[in-house]
Amino acid sequence: MIEIKDVSKDFAGKKRAIDSLNLTIPDGKIVGFLGPNGAGKSTTIKMMTGILPIDDGSITLNGHDIEKQPLQAKKIFGYVPDQPDMFLRLRGIEYLNFIGDIFDIPVDIRKEQIETLTETFNIHDALGDYIQTYSHGMRQKIIVTGVLLHDPDIWILDEPLTGLDPKSAYMLKEMMREHANKGNTVFFSSHGLEVVEQLCDEVAIIHNGKLLFYGTLDEMRKTYQSDQSLEHVFLELTNDE
Amino acid sequence: MSKTWIVMKNMLKIHYSRAGNNNSQIILLSIAGIFLFPFLFFYLGLINNAVSGLYELLEPFGQSSVIIGLLFLLLTALLFIISFVLVISSFYFAEDINSFIPLPIQPYQILLGKATVPLLYLYVTTFAIYFPVLFYFGSNSNASIVYYLLGIILFVFLPFIPFVLAAIFVMFIMRFVNIAKNKDRSKVLGGIFVLLMIILLNVVVRLNANPDEMMENFAQFIQEKDGLLQMITAAYPPALIGSKALTVAGWESLLYFLLMISISIGFIFLFIIVGQKLYLGGVLGINVGNKKNISSERLHKKLRKHPVWLSYLQKELRIIFRTPTFFMQCVVQSLFGPIFLVIILMMDSNFNSLSGTLDQFSYKQQILILFAATLFILSANATGISSISREGKSWHTNLFLPLDLKQVFLSKIAAGWTINLVSILLIAIGLIVVLDISWLLFSLWLALSFVASWFTSLMGTYLDFSHPKLHWTDEQEVFKARLIGFLALLFEFVPLGIIVVIIWNTPFVQGGIVTFVLLLLLMFIATALVHYLLQKKISNKDYQKII
Repeated sequence: MIEIKDVSKDFAGKKRAIDSLNLTIPDGKIVGFLGPNGAGKSTTIKMMTGILPIDDGSITLNGHDIEKQPLQAKKIFGYVPDQPDMFLRLRGIEYLNFIGDIFDIPVDIRKEQIETLTETFNIHDALGDYIQTYSHGMRQKIIVTGVLLHDPDIWILDEPLTGLDPKSAYMLKEMMREHANKGNTVFFSSHGLEVVEQLCDEVAIIHNGKLLFYGTLDEMRKTYQSDQSLEHVFLELTNDE
Repeated sequence: MSKTWIVMKNMLKIHYSRAGNNNSQIILLSIAGIFLFPFLFFYLGLINNAVSGLYELLEPFGQSSVIIGLLFLLLTALLFIISFVLVISSFYFAEDINSFIPLPIQPYQILLGKATVPLLYLYVTTFAIYFPVLFYFGSNSNASIVYYLLGIILFVFLPFIPFVLAAIFVMFIMRFVNIAKNKDRSKVLGGIFVLLMIILLNVVVRLNANPDEMMENFAQFIQEKDGLLQMITAAYPPALIGSKALTVAGWESLLYFLLMISISIGFIFLFIIVGQKLYLGGVLGINVGNKKNISSERLHKKLRKHPVWLSYLQKELRIIFRTPTFFMQCVVQSLFGPIFLVIILMMDSNFNSLSGTLDQFSYKQQILILFAATLFILSANATGISSISREGKSWHTNLFLPLDLKQVFLSKIAAGWTINLVSILLIAIGLIVVLDISWLLFSLWLALSFVASWFTSLMGTYLDFSHPKLHWTDEQEVFKARLIGFLALLFEFVPLGIIVVIIWNTPFVQGGIVTFVLLLLLMFIATALVHYLLQKKISNKDYQKII
């Protein structure tokens, strides 16, 4: 479970990025995080993952406060950033071994997991290459593999499907569903509204740093008395004029 | 032409973008400026003395023109070497090249755009060296206004010839050799080639410095006016033409001046014509890294469990050794100092044994000398001062992974310490083979070096943590146009250097062992102090604030 309580964030010289955000993401659900560019999605995710400091309020992941118990909190989530361009000078296998060391994964489990996941994502043959030579989609896949390697309870994914080929996107979506069905939490941001409509149990919509809506798609339709698609409601909600 | 201008303007904007910079850097620059200001007077004084001295010596023989000749020659050699490095990185390895290639512009237009930034560097270098000599020579020879006017105009054209020569040389190599079409390898080979050239040049100059032969030639050439100038510029006529333009009188001067300008403009056209033909052929298809298939068994062998600190240290070293710019700056350049020192020492002694050279000093002084020299070489290593900045936009990975930040910093310092081992090993070879020092002195030096290496790496990391440069697009930016190298010398070498001078002059500190213990104690105190400051920054969660 992820609990975001009264969280605010300011950047010097700019308008408030996040304004008293309250959000509780329960176990066993896939929650889509929506908002236009610059709405505060990435800032929220960065605070959830300990990258940015929280100015006011608190965020807990399965009961561990990200600011007060950062190591415990970071051990139970896996994060896929929106830009997969990291550790480019390492070979795929070296990156996964590095992640294995950080999360203290026994070698036999590492081998088994790497074998299965990289075969699923079709990147097994590229494990000996530098990540720099990977395409955007392959980089995304190696990062996702790194996250799944330590089997975290909470998945936090920033635009995880961008750049993935149809088969890998399908596999990842299946994995997300399976993970949530086991009673775990999956929280992901996306601009692809069809994916959200198809995959999510609940959606959170943020705009100008404020939470506009949180609930199921049915609740949203009821609240806004609309039979229209998510796209239509989303555009209505986030229209400033 | 307007498109060329747009390309040039944008390349400059990209290079000097202030994105991600903050005001503290401007403050730091100003502080450095204040520190460097006295050096400006010192530098100008030095040039004034050299020019006046040479002028007084040479003028009676009608050979004063050799001063300007030397200026042109040395400046050209320097600009050529600088151009070589700048052209490789700007023309072939800057990441922005891929955004310009698909645009509907001619190769020469991209080339001229790409030449803007290197040329700017060349102008700054030329400005700093050319004008002081020009003006001091002018004032010594009571030159007319025409001399100054021609001199100032020549300044505009001076960098062209060396730049074009270096650029054509590089373009030719890249087009026809194109070292295995591998960007990484070409970068490292190119860099090492330049360093070797500098060492070779030094060796050649030293080997050719046969005093008897030189005196004979000198006597011969000195008999005719400007003979010496003709002698030294024989291999590079533009230096002769440029010097004549400034030193002969009347219309002849103007002729030489026009000739010099025509040659320079000719070189620009040569650059455009050759570039149009060679540039894209060399730049297209450059790739990074190698692809090779590794069998499952070999992959499995790579899967081993390590403690986190070791795994992190391995990651750091892998990235340094595999990123050409980091490898050149952190590893190769740190070897350059010791190698250069050994070569100079050995050649100056005509390869005779230098054993016992240190014997003229007391034991205390020997330790102080070795300590100060080692500390200086270690302070110049760029691994510590790039600890954080090397991460660039990936710094956030350290924050979302369950890593103890204290451990991250310790591994980063350990990476600097490990790379310093190579410098220490080279110095050790020099001390044993060339200077033949005693084993006791060697052991004391080694112990001090290990501690000093940790201190410099720690201080470098702390300084980089205080003012990191994470928003770079090209790895070169981690090292170029940053004050951190200067700050590292200031904080790592200067305070301890002053302490060394104080100990040297303190009569009640006597004996090698006492000096050793004292230095060791000081190093421990300094290290503990910086560790405390670093810990304070970590507790303050400054690592989140630098994003």
